[in-house]
Amino acid sequence: MFKNYLKVAFRSLNKNRVYSVINILGLALGLTVTILVFMFIKDETSYEKHWDGYERVYRTGIKADMMGQKMDAPVSPSPMANALRTEFTDVETATRINTINQEIMMRHEQTKVYIQKGVYADSTFFKIFNYEFVHGDPNTVLKEDNAIVLTEETARKLFGDKSALGELVNYDNRQDYVVKGIVKEPKGHAHFHFDMFMAQNSIRNVWMQNNFHTYVKLKEGADYTAFETEMKRNFIKKIEPDVERFLKITVEKFFEQGNAFEYQLQPLKDIHLYSHKDWEIEQNGNIIYIYVFIGIALLVILIAGINFMNLSTARAGKRAKEVGVRKVTGASRKMLIVQFLTESIIQSFIALFLAFILVELFLPGFNNIMETNLYLFNDHLGMTLAFSLGVTLFYGLFAGSYPAFFLSAFQPIAVLKGDLTKTKGGTLLRKSLVVIQFTASTILIIGMIIIFKQISFLQNKDIGFNGDQVLVVPIQTDPMVENFRNYKDIFLKNSNVLSVTRADYYPGDTPNQNMYAVEGNEEQFPLWNLGVDYDFFKTLNVELLEGRKFEREKESDSIPYFIINETAVKTLNLENTVGTRLGTFINQNGDMAYGNIIGIVKDFHIEGFNQPIRPMVLSISNNLWFASFKIAPNDMSATVDFIENEWNKLEPTHPFRYTYLDQKFGALLRQQENFGTMFLFLTILAIIISAMGLYGLASYTAEQRTKEIGIRKVLGASVSQIMNMLTKDFIKLVLIANIFAWPITYLLAKNWLTNFSYQIDMPIMPFIFATILALIIAIITVSSQAYLAANSDPVKALKYE
Amino acid sequence: MIKLSNLSKVYRTDEIESTALNEVSFEINEGEFVSIMGPSGCGKSTLLNILGMLDKPESGSYQFLDNEVAQLKEKERSDVRKKNIGFIFQNFNLIDELTVFENIELPLLYNKVNSSERKKRVNELIEKIGISHRASHYPQQLSGGQQQRVAVARALITKPPLILADEPTGNLDSSHGNEVMELMCELNEAGTTIIMVTHSAHDASYSNRIINLLDGQVVSEKKSKSVQAAI
Repeated sequence: MFKNYLKVAFRSLNKNRVYSVINILGLALGLTVTILVFMFIKDETSYEKHWDGYERVYRTGIKADMMGQKMDAPVSPSPMANALRTEFTDVETATRINTINQEIMMRHEQTKVYIQKGVYADSTFFKIFNYEFVHGDPNTVLKEDNAIVLTEETARKLFGDKSALGELVNYDNRQDYVVKGIVKEPKGHAHFHFDMFMAQNSIRNVWMQNNFHTYVKLKEGADYTAFETEMKRNFIKKIEPDVERFLKITVEKFFEQGNAFEYQLQPLKDIHLYSHKDWEIEQNGNIIYIYVFIGIALLVILIAGINFMNLSTARAGKRAKEVGVRKVTGASRKMLIVQFLTESIIQSFIALFLAFILVELFLPGFNNIMETNLYLFNDHLGMTLAFSLGVTLFYGLFAGSYPAFFLSAFQPIAVLKGDLTKTKGGTLLRKSLVVIQFTASTILIIGMIIIFKQISFLQNKDIGFNGDQVLVVPIQTDPMVENFRNYKDIFLKNSNVLSVTRADYYPGDTPNQNMYAVEGNEEQFPLWNLGVDYDFFKTLNVELLEGRKFEREKESDSIPYFIINETAVKTLNLENTVGTRLGTFINQNGDMAYGNIIGIVKDFHIEGFNQPIRPMVLSISNNLWFASFKIAPNDMSATVDFIENEWNKLEPTHPFRYTYLDQKFGALLRQQENFGTMFLFLTILAIIISAMGLYGLASYTAEQRTKEIGIRKVLGASVSQIMNMLTKDFIKLVLIANIFAWPITYLLAKNWLTNFSYQIDMPIMPFIFATILALIIAIITVSSQAYLAANSDPVKALKYE
Repeated sequence: MIKLSNLSKVYRTDEIESTALNEVSFEINEGEFVSIMGPSGCGKSTLLNILGMLDKPESGSYQFLDNEVAQLKEKERSDVRKKNIGFIFQNFNLIDELTVFENIELPLLYNKVNSSERKKRVNELIEKIGISHRASHYPQQLSGGQQQRVAVARALITKPPLILADEPTGNLDSSHGNEVMELMCELNEAGTTIIMVTHSAHDASYSNRIINLLDGQVVSEKKSKSVQAAI
């Protein structure tokens, strides 16, 4: 019996090739999207889960609102980890790290290698983050202050095939470390990727300086809420002496003035998808992408499912005779339902097979766009298979059930005597399904345009500086830093080097923060501080609005001079800005040094567009570790060669390294751009599947009305009149779909835009454009079928019966 | 075998009520070959559908093998039908996606006959009706006469005591039509009861009794010529 079902299923597929292709290909594409999304989500949600007891690990952080400046950052002070270990009964252990935010030149004998990501960690680090050790004892390996642990990859770079254990490595020509351990790359994803770990166990008992990241692991069975309350209560007391020393007010007064400050805990496993704070170690993923991709996968599978239901029921007339015959020869309704479900499940499984091929084909592109490293045949293959089988089965049953019940309900006499092709059954349902389908497609089209408008808005936004042809070069040695100003002329000899300067950091880097106060006013403001050298504004083309730039001749080395940005003027609430005296701390005792504000610059971006521009204070300094060069657009590679050549003479110990400032800052937008590109591809896919379904339905309608068309033509209807008649119905459906799609998309897009500090006004154009596009797609698809029908020979059409 | 008394059937659409059968009564005994004749719209097909339990009468009684079947549920009717009745249609109604062999095999599948038995019975029958060389062909590849012989074979495969034929030669030329009628006669001689709806007096002459319907009522019943001649 089952064999018979299979036979008929395959022969029927073969006989109706157009429908089969639409059904199977549509479903295959839908499944492909679903499987890709599943793999992506599986990957994105796998973060940190390879660490033992990861559910009990939390990262500490600070949330503060001081003088109107909000801060929410996963940072902590030096003594916190030790306090957690010693003062709380619920804590199993805690660790403290301090990340190094630039590449470091490491040397073993004559081998010099730049290592990207180094970290200072205390001796308990490997108790929480249980890397697999190839050599060394994780419990003791970071106890001594000159100890370093390398990953296998780093060890290989430095030592080749030689054994590294116990050998010396030199850190940036400053300090020697002894290799105490070698670890493997972790098996899973984490919110950090470190290449080497240097021991750092000393504690400075200052609670108001937050340069570290602290992780705490609770004991099994510990009461999290009780611990959290206790921690907040305990730690807030520890900042009292510092508040009084630096802010010169009591803690009570501090809170009375409307300031807020609290310590926080964040589950380790939530960091990757949910944490978008200041000073993250790396740019994290975003749960919104997960929601959006799930949404798209559901829409695509819905669209393909609707194709299936529509075409199966539309084709019912063709299968009606078969149903009649089977009923007459003894088939029960149940048997027919089983038969039709079998057919839809078979189609689904063919689609699944195709989908896996498509997934393999699409994965390289997907990985490229999303910057992931997914592959089908990984540890999750079993789960991916189980998931896709589940979806396929559900799909086969769900999409197949309507046609199965619809077809099996035919009364045999009606079917076997008169032709049932004129059945009205299911017309309304089919129309509703087309509306749903086009609503889904239109949502995707509008969404896509809005996403692209927002991204292009950000790409073209006035960022306040010009990073084109600006080379950023890290300085590696103290003499180079001390003497840099004297070397500037060496580079400027080349007329293609337009300007040379230095700074603490550049747009695209992690900024620093400091407390400032206006002279005569005790209120202290946390503002961003950026140390720069002369010609900074010229090199980055930052516009001066008022006052003057830093000028060596007019300034004494012993007094600070400040230039602030527009936002800082507002934050400090200044009227006559230039000439106002601003103060900042110069030592740990809370002593301040005051200097004049000499100018105001236009706001320029340091962070990405998910953050508003912060109030910023620029001051002149000589202790700056990043040089930058503005070079002429012509003959750039020769100019870079020239700079490299001269640089290597000045700093021969370290090979020359550089990046382009525009690329560095552009990287901040990359995640959004990637998301937009992926959205575009998925939308195109969804539109293709919709159009295929509409094509199938239109050809069916035309076929069904062959006789009517024949009669109309005999009576004198023109081709265009007939095309008009056939196309009109579908256009109505598309327009109805748009009425649904507009408000839904409006709300979704509005919600998405709140993720940006700088957003476009909700434009009307994408809505209109999407409607027109949907109409064009519908008209092209339907009218191609209508044209064929309208041009058919009426005599044949009439004999068709 | 069959006993109808006062059987009526009314079709209703939104506005119109039309009586297809009006108080029809007759009996058919086992082994008979009965033709039902009458002009278009006289209720022949309705009668055949009710006899075949594809349709329910409005009122009256229908006894099939001494059981009252007039008001059985769909599932019960389907069971009686499956065991006892074979159908032959004017337009053959073969499934296009199945081969000759598979079309004939179909009722056996629904009657849960095992595979080797199915093969045996289908092959025997195919041999008998002279289309064994066509066993693996699809219906579209056969002539009308051949298609109808396949349909007859399908109706016969479960060895039902009753065969219902609805204008079996209506779509065939005369020589093919005769082939089919002769096949039916052989069946009848072997003991199968046959009820046939037909327009053709020629076809009706193969049967031993003719029931004439007009406007849903039996207007005459008579032995056909060939039977009369035999007497």
